[in-house]
Amino acid sequence: MTTTGPGATEQSATADREITISRVISAPPDLVFEAFTEVRHLSRWWGPEGFTTTTRAFEFRVGGEWDFVMHGPDGTDYQEWISWTEIAPPGRIALLHGESRGDPNAFESVLTFAPDGAATRIVMHTVFPTHELRDEAVEKYHAIEGGQQTLSNLAAYVPEIVRMRVED
Amino acid sequence: MARAATTSDVFNAIAEQQRREILVLLRSGEGPVTELARELGMTQPGASKHLRVLREVGLVRDRQAGRQRLYGLDARGLRPVHEWTGGFEQFWNESFGRLDAYVQELQQTRQEK
Repeated sequence: MTTTGPGATEQSATADREITISRVISAPPDLVFEAFTEVRHLSRWWGPEGFTTTTRAFEFRVGGEWDFVMHGPDGTDYQEWISWTEIAPPGRIALLHGESRGDPNAFESVLTFAPDGAATRIVMHTVFPTHELRDEAVEKYHAIEGGQQTLSNLAAYVPEIVRMRVED
Repeated sequence: MARAATTSDVFNAIAEQQRREILVLLRSGEGPVTELARELGMTQPGASKHLRVLREVGLVRDRQAGRQRLYGLDARGLRPVHEWTGGFEQFWNESFGRLDAYVQELQQTRQEK
């Protein structure tokens, strides 16, 4: 993935413990921003296909928390906790993401929403406390998705990978 | 600080555009270096050099077929890449895919009002 724009210059200092994800969404920034602000919106799209969420508490303000359980399609539950550290509509949201309040392994993501014609470019920049925690998060989410779904992306590139996984 | 050798690190090996083009071409089957070079508009020595790197990191295998040496894809070598990019990024790419569909629906509902 190509990283450009704000943040690119400081990349070297945190390069081994960060992940940047970028995506164009076909709606204007204010609408995309809004989709982050209420449970009734978030519950419609949070997580990969087949995942649902059950919210225990939700308060969209700086310092507020979203305490919820994510349910995987295979029936596995994941405890999730999010706290907002910055809210600046319609361009920027920063949040701390962990499994519960005070999670020492929580990591911060900064989401920016920039107009791209009639659409919005979301850039999500996540910096983990350490390189090891980044790798751990990658592994954890890998496990959450459960192999199959994860494959679809690279399999489009290299169909042989699918065969190789089946043979394992 | 010394960077990991291209020949021992699959991430470095596929960072090179022409080597990725070779991998994509090899998806459709094995071939001799002359044919691969021609299809990709590379010189034969250039293609040979890339193939050697790809073979050393385990992404390409070769075999002798008569007088020809045929190169083919060994996708197992991509596993570290797959595992690294798989988890967190894939989770968010899929979530953002659903977000995309949802906000379009939201936009449509509002325009109808």
